Amino acid sequence: MTRRRWGLVALAAAGAAWILGAEWVSIHHGVPENHLIDALGGLAFLAGGIIALDRRPGNVIGPLMVAVGLVPYLGNYGNLNVPLLPLLGVISGYWAAPMLAHIALCYPSGQLRTRFDRIVVGLIYASTVAISIVLLLVFDPRSGGCTQCAWEPAPAPSRDVFLAAGTAYQRLGVALVLLFLAAVWRRWRRATPAGRRDLTPLWLATGLIALGYLLSAFASPFPLADPFAYLIWELQSLLQISLPAVFVWGLLSSRLARSAVGDLMLRLERPLPPGELQVSLARALGDPALELRYALHGQDRWVDAHGRRGSLPQPRAGRQARTVTVVERDGRPLAALIHDPALDQGLVRAAAAAAGMAIENEWLHAELRAQLAEVQASRQRIVAAEDRERRRVERNLHDGAQQRLATLALSLAMLRDRDGADPAAAAALEQASAELKQAIDELRELARGIHPAILTEEGLPAAVESLADRSALPVRVVANFDGRLPEPVETAAYFVVAESLANVAKYACASAAQVEISRLNGSLHVAVLDDGVGGADPSLGSGLRGLEDRVSAVRGRFRVETAPGGGTRILAEIPCDA
Amino acid sequence: MPEHAPGVAPETGSAAIRVVLADDSVLFREGLARVLADNGFTVVGQAGDAAALHAVVAEQEPDVVVTDIRMPPTNSNDGLLAAQRLRAEHPGVGVLVLSQYVETRQAIRLLQHAPQRVGYLLKDRVSDIPEFAAAVRRIARGGSAIDPDVVAQLLRRRGEDSALAELTGREQDILALLAEGRSNRAICDRLVLSPKTVETHVGSIFAKLGLLPGADDHRRVLAVLMYIRQAGS
Repeated sequence: MTRRRWGLVALAAAGAAWILGAEWVSIHHGVPENHLIDALGGLAFLAGGIIALDRRPGNVIGPLMVAVGLVPYLGNYGNLNVPLLPLLGVISGYWAAPMLAHIALCYPSGQLRTRFDRIVVGLIYASTVAISIVLLLVFDPRSGGCTQCAWEPAPAPSRDVFLAAGTAYQRLGVALVLLFLAAVWRRWRRATPAGRRDLTPLWLATGLIALGYLLSAFASPFPLADPFAYLIWELQSLLQISLPAVFVWGLLSSRLARSAVGDLMLRLERPLPPGELQVSLARALGDPALELRYALHGQDRWVDAHGRRGSLPQPRAGRQARTVTVVERDGRPLAALIHDPALDQGLVRAAAAAAGMAIENEWLHAELRAQLAEVQASRQRIVAAEDRERRRVERNLHDGAQQRLATLALSLAMLRDRDGADPAAAAALEQASAELKQAIDELRELARGIHPAILTEEGLPAAVESLADRSALPVRVVANFDGRLPEPVETAAYFVVAESLANVAKYACASAAQVEISRLNGSLHVAVLDDGVGGADPSLGSGLRGLEDRVSAVRGRFRVETAPGGGTRILAEIPCDA
Repeated sequence: MPEHAPGVAPETGSAAIRVVLADDSVLFREGLARVLADNGFTVVGQAGDAAALHAVVAEQEPDVVVTDIRMPPTNSNDGLLAAQRLRAEHPGVGVLVLSQYVETRQAIRLLQHAPQRVGYLLKDRVSDIPEFAAAVRRIARGGSAIDPDVVAQLLRRRGEDSALAELTGREQDILALLAEGRSNRAICDRLVLSPKTVETHVGSIFAKLGLLPGADDHRRVLAVLMYIRQAGS
């Protein structure tokens, strides 16, 4: 049993006690009425309401039925000689009818579908509020001469106004009932044949209640004084017992559930944005914590609608218990609903079936997103692997070829230094030394291009300074930080600056360039500006295109702003957690 | 000179300069040791990584340490960090850092606290043996040796908006040599000028840049480098 179910049991027990207590008060005070019928009417609504609350947690019909079952019994308690209770008792007598009308018009979905329905229910409630206020102002049982009655704090006690208000409300009621019947008729006209079949008993019952109400309007407001009025009242009570039975029957045949599924289908008529299906299912099934996961075929894992990795819950007991219902297509799992175990399995299956198309759509979307995420991740891995490889090659060059050539240069120098070598040999040696120096210089530039040691050793600002140092034109560097960033971020930013500065030197005919690097809101911002001829186009050169790829591999953004004659701005924004 | 300095340099007649070498390549280290020995230096110790270097220096207190910038254990800028630490712990020991790449930032870092007894050169400069030997001697005497590439980079980067643009071509040549750490005497030899002429040029350069004249040979390197670095930035 969940906590919610225990709550409902407690509510049922308290409600029954309230109703039976009210009947006991009536019997004790010798009120001449059929106590059995009176109690059964309330108990039937209470029971129906509790079942509705249990089976359809999000539906307003449950609370309304419980209220219809409990509120009128305030009138019975009004017989107790306690201040305020008689007043509340009289007022409560007016509230059952509006709530019943509300239930009838919103059955079975709990929602008032048309504007007309909403207006009718609104008017009914408004008139009830109005009569309640009038009663609050004028009701005083002593004004009728009852010396035994409890005192009521009415600001303007008047028995005449009280009687007049009661009569006026009943006359107004006729108009409201007619409006209500018109609303019922409209729903009937619009209902599908199946809908009509489902709703017939309900509308028959409400129609009869409305008829009884109409008849009672022409009877005395005090049923006890008039046999005709008393008969009408008895008849209404009997109908009120039957009405919740109709509801309960509907619930047990899970019509309310199907109506929720129907609502879901209506909502699914239009395409939903990703993730919205889960919200719709949660609402339809009345389980706000409901989650939807999609199966990735070929990979044994589950993702949400956005393709993000998610797992199915382990079986757990207690309040956090969740159940998984797997939706299959052609024998393969497609999606899984993670939901409250208290939900009716049939209802969940029905909802999943109703949402079949939408689930399949979202599954496709999720799979696409997961694939995109996988591509993004693999691109990131490829770039990282390439960078690792570059560092390895540079290190090998440094420790291997460059070191050997430096040693060789030293050996040649020692040979050259030796006295007594013949001039021809000395010249050849000189030539070899010059060639070697050239080779060393070229190898150094090659190694630096493969991976700049200073980037690994001292970080991005130092490496950018170094680029500026070696640039052919004056470059100003503005860096607002000096710390280290994750390697992929530093490397991507470095290559943006390096490639951009190389472009500036080659094509821009610029007199100067500026590099700005800053950290802002968790992102690294890189800008390379020049005052050259402009006209850089990423779609033409493979250099800019490559930079764009490199930056987006670390989930960054890359932009080139240029105007002929107006210089070029190359902008990159890279999230620092890449 | 340390009292226990053995040997006498054949050319200079003074006690031989005691050198410690650090490089993770044994081959290069041995070659360099031979070159230095052939040129009148005494190699008193060798090390393959930063930790061993510290140990040898503490034991030998050499005149100059010649170290590669990239060494085990991290194969990053261990040599540079070791150099900075040596300079703090052994102010009397000169340090010459060799690197496959020269970076102005590293040169400035090495120089900025004390411009004496320090050098920063491209590794293959060692193959110009006389130049290299001169640089080591300069450092041993309290001077400095900055790689011409570093000076060239600094000079190139500073825009036309600085006073550097007012220098004549000859003055710019002399400025570069000053920045490399050379003495007036060395500049005379290099440019084939009389000492008087060089002195006049140096005075003129200092006046144009607004630097204090009369700073000793060692301090003026830093003054010139810092000036170049700040001008235009």
